[in-house]
Amino acid sequence: MALRPSSAPARLVRLGFIESERAERLLRDPQILALGVTESGSADALTDALAETADPDLALVTLVRLLEAAEADPEADVSGLRAALCGDPISRDRLVGLLGASSALGDHLVTHPRHWRAVVDARWLSTRERIEALVAAVTGRDPATADPTPDDALRVAYRQQMVGIVALDVTAPDPVALLPTVAAALADLAQAALEAATTLAIAEIGDADQYRFAVIGMGKSGGRELNYVSDVDVIFVAEPAEGADEESALATATKVASRMMQACSASTPAGSLWPVDAALRPEGKQGPLVRTVASHRHYYERWAKTWEFQALLKARPMAGDADLGRAYLQAVQPMVWEAASREHFVEDVQAMRRRVEEHVPSAEAKRQLKLGPGGLRDVEFSVQLLQLVHGRSDETLRSRTTLEALTALAAGGYVGRDDAAVLDKAYRLLRTLEHRIQLHRMRRTHLMPTATGDLRRLGRALGYRADPATEVARRRESEAREVRQIHEKLFYRPLLASVARLTPGEARLSPEAARSRLAALGFADPAGAMRHLEALTSGLSRTAAIQRQILPVLLGWFAEEAAPDDGLLAFRQVSDALGSTPWYLKMLRDEGRAAEILSRSLAQSWLVSNLLVATPTAAQILGEPHGLEPKPRAQILQRMRAAATRKEDPDEAIAAARGTRRRELFRIGVADLQDGLGLARVGEALTDVAAALVQTGLEVATRAAETRLGEPLGIDLLVVGMGRFGGGELGYSSDLDVLFVHRAHAGVDEATAQARATEVITELRRLLGTPGADPPVGLDADLRPEGKAGPITRSLESYRTYYERWSATWEAQALLRATPVAGDEQLAADFLELIDPVRWPADGIDETQLREVRRLKARMEAERMPRGADRKTHFKLGQGGLSDVEWTIQLLQLQHAHEIPGLRTTSTLGALQAATATGLVTSDDAQALREAWELASETRNAGMLFRGRPVDSVPADVRTADAVGRIVGLPAGSGQELANLYRRKARHARQVVDRLFYGDVERN
Amino acid sequence: MDRQQEFVLRTLEERDIRFIRLWFTDVLGTLKSVAIAPAELEGAFAEGIGFDGSAIEGFTRVYEADMLAKPDPSTFQVLPWRGERPGTGRMFCDILLPDGSPSLSDSRQVLQRTLARAADMGFTMYTHPEVEFFLLEDGKGDPTPVDQGGYFDHVHNGTGHDFRRQAIQMLEAVGISVEFSHHEGAPGQNEIDLRYADALSTADNIMTFRTIVKEVALEQGVYATFMPKVFADHPGSGMHTHISLFEGDKNAFYEAGAPYQLSTTARQFMAGLLHHGREFTAVTNQWVNSYKRLWGGGEAPAHLTWGHNNRSAMIRVPMYKPGKSQSTRVEVRTLDSACNPYLAYAVLLAAGLKGIEEGYELPPETEDDVWSLSDGERRAMGIKPLPASLSEATELMENSDLVAETLGEQIFDFFLRNKRREWEDYRHQVTPFELQRLLPRL
Repeated sequence: MALRPSSAPARLVRLGFIESERAERLLRDPQILALGVTESGSADALTDALAETADPDLALVTLVRLLEAAEADPEADVSGLRAALCGDPISRDRLVGLLGASSALGDHLVTHPRHWRAVVDARWLSTRERIEALVAAVTGRDPATADPTPDDALRVAYRQQMVGIVALDVTAPDPVALLPTVAAALADLAQAALEAATTLAIAEIGDADQYRFAVIGMGKSGGRELNYVSDVDVIFVAEPAEGADEESALATATKVASRMMQACSASTPAGSLWPVDAALRPEGKQGPLVRTVASHRHYYERWAKTWEFQALLKARPMAGDADLGRAYLQAVQPMVWEAASREHFVEDVQAMRRRVEEHVPSAEAKRQLKLGPGGLRDVEFSVQLLQLVHGRSDETLRSRTTLEALTALAAGGYVGRDDAAVLDKAYRLLRTLEHRIQLHRMRRTHLMPTATGDLRRLGRALGYRADPATEVARRRESEAREVRQIHEKLFYRPLLASVARLTPGEARLSPEAARSRLAALGFADPAGAMRHLEALTSGLSRTAAIQRQILPVLLGWFAEEAAPDDGLLAFRQVSDALGSTPWYLKMLRDEGRAAEILSRSLAQSWLVSNLLVATPTAAQILGEPHGLEPKPRAQILQRMRAAATRKEDPDEAIAAARGTRRRELFRIGVADLQDGLGLARVGEALTDVAAALVQTGLEVATRAAETRLGEPLGIDLLVVGMGRFGGGELGYSSDLDVLFVHRAHAGVDEATAQARATEVITELRRLLGTPGADPPVGLDADLRPEGKAGPITRSLESYRTYYERWSATWEAQALLRATPVAGDEQLAADFLELIDPVRWPADGIDETQLREVRRLKARMEAERMPRGADRKTHFKLGQGGLSDVEWTIQLLQLQHAHEIPGLRTTSTLGALQAATATGLVTSDDAQALREAWELASETRNAGMLFRGRPVDSVPADVRTADAVGRIVGLPAGSGQELANLYRRKARHARQVVDRLFYGDVERN
Repeated sequence: MDRQQEFVLRTLEERDIRFIRLWFTDVLGTLKSVAIAPAELEGAFAEGIGFDGSAIEGFTRVYEADMLAKPDPSTFQVLPWRGERPGTGRMFCDILLPDGSPSLSDSRQVLQRTLARAADMGFTMYTHPEVEFFLLEDGKGDPTPVDQGGYFDHVHNGTGHDFRRQAIQMLEAVGISVEFSHHEGAPGQNEIDLRYADALSTADNIMTFRTIVKEVALEQGVYATFMPKVFADHPGSGMHTHISLFEGDKNAFYEAGAPYQLSTTARQFMAGLLHHGREFTAVTNQWVNSYKRLWGGGEAPAHLTWGHNNRSAMIRVPMYKPGKSQSTRVEVRTLDSACNPYLAYAVLLAAGLKGIEEGYELPPETEDDVWSLSDGERRAMGIKPLPASLSEATELMENSDLVAETLGEQIFDFFLRNKRREWEDYRHQVTPFELQRLLPRL
C-alpha cells in the first residue's frame, strides 16, 4: 500500500529527519514498500521507529541497503528479517536503533546480512557463553576450506556479538544507568576474543605440553569496564610444564603471545579488533614479552615504580591457563597494597598527577572527555590513588572497577556520600558520551564532536529531542564542572569530615586514614596539618563554618605548591588573627581568585607568609580591584606620611610607616608570585617602597631634631640612592646603598650644619634599622667619599671640592647609578649637576683609569668572595654574576657616556640596551649578559621569597632549589636543573665579560 | 632486569661469594670501589648504598655530600682474581642523589644521557676499542720494558705472551670478549682489542679491562701502565675506537655505492667530530702527558683530518669488506688509553650527533701522510692542528657549549679547574731537559 500523505517532507522533518526529501524517496523504495505490503500500517510504525533513533536518515538509508543485501544473500533469510521489522516492536527497534547509532556496524550488517539475527536475538550473554562462541569460531572450522582464515572468522564472530551488545545499549531506556553493564559486556567480549586468539595461537605454534600460558588483563579490560573501541592492555605470564626446559618454554610462549596479539590486532580483509598493548609489562617495551610468575614477582619486588603498582591494581586473569593466572595474581597482588608505604610514593604520586593533568593540546582541551584536569582519566586516577592509600588497611576498597571502588570509598567514609554520588553520575555520563561518539564509526576517539550533525546524533542518542545538539553540550558542561572539582571532593573534603563532623550519621575518615592521605598528598607533617585543620574548623562560629566549606579547595592549592605545611600554618595564623572580620570571610567565600592567590602564595613563600602574619589586614588587598598592581611612589609616600604623622614618638611613627611598607611588600610579593609581575617591575616597585620609607624616615628624624632644638634645622638634606637602589632595581633582600648630602641655609655656619645633618642622619639610620616585623632596612653609606673613613654626610660644596681634587675612578663608577631618592629637590638638582661631569667624563677614561677599574674588579673577585662560597654560583660576586655584568656595562658607560646619550642612565639593562643599539655590544653578547643578570636577580629574589632570608648563591639543598626553581618558572622537581641552567648562563656571560671588560686578556 | 637480579642472588650463593664490590668512576676516570656483604645487597638494589660524595674527585660540594650508589645488576660479574676464595663479585653503579634522581656529576650518567639523546634520534652507538698499554719491569724510577719485541712479534718465552694469555682468560671470565691481541710497535707494548658492543657496555668494559690488566701484571711480577706516552722515542698508547651508529638493526653508516660505502649520516657524523675536535680533545686526551703522544709523530694523529686507511689522520675509514655492510665504521684515533671512557664516548657521540643535526659538510679527505706535509701545505689544505698542550686544550674546551652541555655544567666546571691545576703543576717543574740542555750553557 502507498504511504499516506502525512509522510510528506514536513512531517518527516518534524519527526527528526534532516534530508526529508531523500527520506521520503527512500521510504517509497521497493525494499521498504515490500515491508508495507506485509502488514497494514507498519510503514508508519517503521517511520516512527526510525524517528526514535539517534540518526533517522542514517538508519533509513542503511536499512534499505541491509534489505537489499539480505535479499541477495540466500542464507540471510530476508523474509525473516522483513517479518522482524514488521512484527515484534522490540526486534524492529533494535535493528533500526543500531543502524541509527553506528554507520560502521551498519556497514558490517550490510556485509554480513545474516547477522541481523544477532541484533534481534540480543541478550546479555554470560562470560562463558561469549568465550565458547568465539573459541568455536576459530576452532570449529572445516580445516579443508582455507576460507575464511581463523583470524577473519574471529573478527566476524566478534562483531556478531558486538552488534548484540549495541542493540541492547541503544534501545535501553536509560543508557547512562546501563553503562556499567555495557562496559562489562564489552570487557567480556574482549576476554572471549583473547581466549579465542590464545587457543588459535597455541594450536598453531604447537608444543602445547611444554609450557603453561596465561593472559592477564590490565587497564580497562582488567577492570571490566571497557570502551567500545580501545586498546586492550595485557601482561603475559608463562611457566615451563613440569620437566620442560624453562628457556625454550618461554621462547615458545613468547611466540604464542606474539601470534595471539597479531590475531587480535592485525588488519585483515575482515578488519581488526583492537591493538593489544603489552607495554605495561615489567620494563615496558624493553622487557621480555613473557615472564614467569617468579620473574614478575622479583621485578615488582625490586624494580617496579609506583605507577606500575597502580596499574597492577587492575590486573585480572583473562585468558589461557586459569590456574597460572591465579598464581600470578597471588604473587603480585599483595604488593599493590604495600605500594603506599614505599619510598618516594608521595613524589611519584605527585609526578603521576602532573602527568594526568598535563595540558592537552589547547585546541582540543575543551572537547576532551578523557585527558586533562577533570577528564575521565583524572577520575580513574584519583579513585585508584585513594585505593592505594587506604586499601592497605581496608580490604573492602580493593575493587578493580572504578565505579565499584568509588561506591566502596563512600561506604567506608573515605569520600563523602553525596560527592561520590555526584561523581558517579558524572562519570557515567561522560563515559556514555564517549561510547556513543566511538560507536558511530567504531573509532577510538575521546573528543566531543564539533559538527552540528554529530552533536545532534549524540544528543538524540541520550534522548534529547527538542534541540539535541545544544542540550547535550550543556549537559556535558555541567557534568564536567562537577568532575573538575574532583580533587576537592575526593581528596580534601573527607579530611575536613575527619576533623569536623559535617553530615551527621555518615561514616567518616579515621584520623589514621586522614594522616596517610595528607602524607600522600605531599604534607610533610600530617599530624601538624591535622591539628591546624581541627583548629580552623572546630566550633560553631561563622568563621569555622565558612572555613569548613572552603578548606577542601584551599588544601588542594597548598598541596600543589612547594611547602604545603607552611602554607597551612600561615593560613591558620592569619585566620586566627582576622577571626570573624567580615571582609575576610567574604573574600574567602566569594572571591575564588583571591582565596587561590592567598593559599598559593602562603605555600610558596615564607616571606609573604611572614609579612601577612605580621600585618593580617594586608590580605584585604587581594579582594580589591587592581589590588595586585604596585602603587605609585607618591601614593605610598602619602600613606606612610599620614601613618607617621599620627604618632608623636619617632619610633612609633616609623613603626607605623613600616606597617605600610609591609603591606606594600606583601602586594609586590604576591603580584610577583601570582601575576608574573616581572623582574623590572618588581625592582621598580621595591625601589618606590624603599624611597618612600626613606623620605618618611627623613621627615620623622628631622621633626624629632627640630623638636629637640626648638627651632628649624636650617639645613637642606638629600639622600641619594646608589647601586641597585639608584638604578631602580632593588631586590627583596637588597641593602640600600646611599649617599647623604646637606646644605646650610643662609646664616647657618658649616660646623653647625654638619653637626645637625649628622644627627638627623644617625637618627634616620637607627629608626630604619630597628628590627621589626618587616625586614629591617640597612642604609649603607660605604660608597661615600673616603669610604668608611669619611664623614657620613657632606655639604654640597664639600662634595664639589672632593670630586674636583681627589676623586678615584671607582667613585665615578659608583656615581653612575646615583639617583636622588629623598630630601630637598633643589639640592637634588644641584647635586646631579655637580656629579654629571664626574660620572660621564668628557673624554671617557684613559688607559690608566681603565687599568685601575680592571684591577679593582680582579681584586674584588679574589678577596670579596665569602668563605666557602662557590665561585660559579654566587649571584653577586661569582663568575658571570651580577657584579661581572654590571661592571662591564659601567665600564662602557665611563668610556662612552659622553658621546652616547643613551648611556647616561642609572639602569643596568637600559644602559646595556643603549650600548647594543649603538653597536658597542653585539646583540649576542648583550643577550648573554642580560640573561645571566636577569636569572641571578630573579633567583636571588625567588630565594628571598621562599626562605624569607637572603639566598646568595644557587641553593644547594635539593628541596630549596626545587621551590626556588618553581618560583622562577621551572617545572616542579627541577632543583638540579636550576643549578645547571644558572651555571650555563653565567658561563656565557663570563665569556663576554672576559672579552668586553678584561679586553680578552689571555689566560696563561 | 629481574632475571639479572635472580642471577646475581643465585650466583652469590652458588659460588660462595662473600663480598660484592660496587664500582663507579670519578670524573677523571679512576675506578672507585665500595665493598659490601651479600646481606646488604638487597638494600643496595632497593635504595642504593649511601656514601660521602664530597670525598670523591669531581663529586663536588654540598649537593653530593650524601649520595647513593645503586648497583646495575646487568653488570654483575664474579671477579676472577686467582686464589681468591671465597670469591668476590662486582657491579657498576649509577650515582643518585638522596631523592633518587640521577646525580649530574656521575660520568656514567653523562654517557647514558647522551646515548638517550641519540636514541631519541633513532640511533644506538656501538664502539670497539683497541687498547694499548705497556708492560714494565716495575712502576718506579726509569721505566724498563719487559721485552724488546716489535709489532706483531712473537716473543719467545716473553712475559707479554703469558701475560696476554692470562689477561684474556680473565677478561673472558668476566664476560668481556677479546677480539685480538698482539705485541705492539714498541718494546713492552701490547694491544688488546675488545669486541664490538654498545657504548655503555664498552665503557664499563674498559674500566674492568684496565683493572684486570693491572691485576694480572701484579700477579706476574710486572707493571702495566696506560700512561699515554712512556718512552719519548717509542710510540705511545692510544685507544683507537671504531664507532658506528645503528638504526634498529641497520648500520646507519652504510650506504651501498657511496664512496667507501659511507652514508650521509656517517659523513655528517665525521664532520661533527672534525668540526668540534679541538673543543673536546681535553676530554679524549686529558693528561699533560697525552699531548706528547699526540704530537709524537708516526701514527699519532695531531691534525683534524680524515682519510681512507690513512694512519696519520684523526679519523680513519677502514677498508670496506664486501658483504660486510654491518661492519661499516669509522675509527677515531686520537683517544688515549688513560681517558675517562664514559666522558670521552659522550663527547664523541655528541659532536657526531651535532654534525648530523646541523648537516655539516665533510671536508675532503686527506690522502697524504699529514706529518710529511709542510706547515704551509697544511695551511693551504685547510688542515687544522689539534691542541698542542693540555693548556691549549682546556682553553678551547672552555669556550665549547657542546662539551658543556654534554658533560653538564658541573662536571664541565670541575674538569676545567682540575686540568688547569694539572697544567700549572706541570709547568712548575724544572725538567731534566732543561737541566741537560740549559744548565751547562747558561
